[in-house]
Amino acid sequence: MQAIREAMRRAVVAVCVTGAVAACGGGGRASGSTAQAGSASASAGKGSVFTIAMIAKSSTNPVFLSGRTGAEAAAAELSKKYGITVRINWLTPPEEDAELQAQRIAQAVNTGANAILVSASDAGKVTGAINEAVERGVPVMMFDSDAPQSKRFSFYGGDDEAIGKQVMSELAAQMHGKGRVAIFSGNQNAPNLQRRVQGVKDEAKKYPGITLIGTFHTIETPQDAAAEVLRVEQAYPNIQGWAMVGGWALFTRALLTDLDPAKVKIVSVDALPVELAYVEKGLTPVLLAQPTYLWGYQSVHTIFDHVYLHKQVPEHVEMKLVKVTKANLGDWARQLKAWGYPNVDPKYLSLGK
Amino acid sequence: MELLRQAVGETAERPVALPRVARAVLQSQQVGLVVVLFVLGAALTLSAGSHTNPVTGATVNNFLNKYTLIQMATDASAFAIMGVGATIVIIAGAIDLSVGAIYAIAGVTMTMVLRAAGPLGPVTTVLVGLGTCLAIGLLCGLANGVMVIGLGVHSFIITLGTMWIFRGLAFVTSHAESILVPPPLTAVAKASLGMGTALYPVPLLVMLLVTVLGSVYLGRTVMGRHVFAVGGNPEASRFSGLRVSRINLGVFVVSGLTAGLAAFLGASFYGSASSSDGTGYELYVIAAAVVGGASLLGGKGSAVNATLGAVLIVLIRQAIRTLHMDQNYEWIIIGTAMILAVVLDQSGTKLLARRLARTAGDSPTHRSG
Repeated sequence: MQAIREAMRRAVVAVCVTGAVAACGGGGRASGSTAQAGSASASAGKGSVFTIAMIAKSSTNPVFLSGRTGAEAAAAELSKKYGITVRINWLTPPEEDAELQAQRIAQAVNTGANAILVSASDAGKVTGAINEAVERGVPVMMFDSDAPQSKRFSFYGGDDEAIGKQVMSELAAQMHGKGRVAIFSGNQNAPNLQRRVQGVKDEAKKYPGITLIGTFHTIETPQDAAAEVLRVEQAYPNIQGWAMVGGWALFTRALLTDLDPAKVKIVSVDALPVELAYVEKGLTPVLLAQPTYLWGYQSVHTIFDHVYLHKQVPEHVEMKLVKVTKANLGDWARQLKAWGYPNVDPKYLSLGK
Repeated sequence: MELLRQAVGETAERPVALPRVARAVLQSQQVGLVVVLFVLGAALTLSAGSHTNPVTGATVNNFLNKYTLIQMATDASAFAIMGVGATIVIIAGAIDLSVGAIYAIAGVTMTMVLRAAGPLGPVTTVLVGLGTCLAIGLLCGLANGVMVIGLGVHSFIITLGTMWIFRGLAFVTSHAESILVPPPLTAVAKASLGMGTALYPVPLLVMLLVTVLGSVYLGRTVMGRHVFAVGGNPEASRFSGLRVSRINLGVFVVSGLTAGLAAFLGASFYGSASSSDGTGYELYVIAAAVVGGASLLGGKGSAVNATLGAVLIVLIRQAIRTLHMDQNYEWIIIGTAMILAVVLDQSGTKLLARRLARTAGDSPTHRSG
C-alpha cells in the first residue's frame, strides 16, 4: 500500500508539472505570425501553409525584433497575394547561443518547416546544422551574419568590413581628421562585428591625425552598453570620438545627458527610434541605419521566390546602409513608423514635410 | 519488519498484493519523472500535428518522429552528462557553478592544441582531442577542489570565482576566435551508426553510458556511499574515520571530468569551440540535478534522476516549440515547472513522513514501548 501511495504522490507531482507547463504556455501568443491550430503541415505547393522558421541571434535585441516585424509583414502580403498561409515561426534564442541555434535549425526541420532563415551567432557552429537541413530537403537562407561555408542558397546583408570603414570615414569627417577615437563593439565572438571593427581600424590608418585608443566590448543590452561607455569615458576623459559598430549604447537615453556634444562625437551603426534624439542633439551627427526591417521583409520575399515560385535568386542580396542625419531625420522617422515601429516620437514625424 | 509494516498500516495477516517487481518500480525514485515524461510526451504527440517530409512525401508527426527524439537526446546530453557530475557534487553538500566555464575552456583548449599539432591521423586526432578535454576538466576540477578545501571557503564562492577565471582564460587564449574542430572529431560525434541520414545517436549513447557509470559509482561502490555519508552528515563522517577532504576533492574532479567530456562531445558535434560556449549551462545543469530530486543540503540525489531531469527540461523546451507557444515564455515556463516539481516533491515527502510518524505513534508496539 505504501508503494501505491508513493507512486500516486509522484504521479500527482507529474500531472501538476505537466499542467503547469500547459498553463504557462497556454496564455502566450502563438509564435507564428498567423495563429494556427496545431500543425504546420503541408509542403510548398501542396497545402495551404508555408512555414518559414526564423532564427535570429537574440530575442532581446530590438534590431532582430524589427526584422521579425518585417518578416511577418512580408508573410501577410504573400499570404494575401497567393491565397496561402505564409507563416513565420520565430525560433530565436532569448540570448546569443550558437549551439542553441544549431539545435533549433534541426527542430525546425523536424517539425516540418518549408524553409529556414538564420542570422549566425557563430558560423562554425551552425554550418553543420544548415547543411543537414538542406540535405533533408529544407532550404536555408542567411541574413545579417552569414555562414559562407554552408549550403545556404542566399545571404541578405552588408559587407561588414565596408560598414566598419564607413563608420570611421564618417567619424573622421565629423572630427576634421584628428582626435582620439574609441571603438565600441558587442559580442567579441560575433564574426560580423569582428570584421566591422577591423574595417574601422583599417580606415583609421588613412587619417594620421586620428589616434585609436582601444576597442571596447559590451554585453549587447542597452543598459550594459551605456554603462560601459560611461566607464570608458571615466577612464579615458580625453576621448573625442566613438566609432560604434552597433547601436546598443544608444538604445537607451542615458548618454544624452552624460555626454557633451561639444566634446565628443559618435557615429554609430543602427538608427532605431530611440536613437533619433541623439541625432537631434548633435551628439551623434551620423547614424548608419541597417534597414533591419528588411532583414525579415526582403529575406522572406527571397525565400518565397526561390522555394515556392522556383525563381532564380542572387546568392548575395546586398544590403545598403541608410545615412541618417539632421537633414533627413523626418524622412527616416516616417520610414520607421511605416515599418511598424510603435515608439517613434511624433515630433520627428512632422520634420521636413 | 513487523513494526515497519504496522507503521505503514499493513499487517502480517494482510499480505501485499503487488508483485515484488511492480513494488520495486513504484517505489523507485525515478517513477515520478518517468510519468511526467510520458504524460508530456503523450500530450505532445496528440497535439503536435503533422507535416509532410519534403524528401519522402510521408506524413510525419511533428513530435513523435525519430529525428525529434534523437535531437532531444542530443540537446539533453550536455546537461545530463554535466548533471551527473553536478549531482555527485550536490550529494556531497557542495555546488559547482563553474561547469559551463570548464565546458568552454576545455573545448577551446582542445581546438587550439589540435590546431597547433597540425595534421594528425583520425584516431590520433580523436584521442588527443578527448585526452585534452578530459585533462583540462580534471585540472579545473582539481583546482576547484583544492581551493574549496585548502582555503576553507564555501564551494559556491570558489566556483563562482573560477567560473569567471576559466571563461576569462578561454577568452584570452583564444582571442574570442571561434576555432573549427578537425573533421575526424565531427565524424565521431556525428556517426550515424547505421541509423540513417541526419540521425546521430552518439551523444545519446554517451549520455546513457555516463548515467550508468554515475549510478554504479553512487549506488554500488564504497566511494559513492562515502559521498552520501559526507553530504548527509560531514561531522559524523569525519568522526567515523572518513577522509572527508579527499572525498570532497574527488567530487569536484568528477564534476570537472564530466564537463570536459561534455565539451569534447559538444565541440565535436557542432564543429567549433569558442570562449562563449556553455554560457549559462551551469544553471540548466543544476536545475537538472534539482528537478531530479537532488537536495542542495546534501546527502540526496541520483545520477539517473539527473539525466531524467535534463531530458525533462529539454522536453519542456521542445514542447514550447512544437506547440508553437511564444518563445518569450520559455524561461517562465521552465522556472515555474522546476519550482513546482521541487516544492510538490518536498511537500509530499513531508506529508508522508508526518503520516508515518503519526501511524507509528498510534501503533500498539509504540504504545507499549
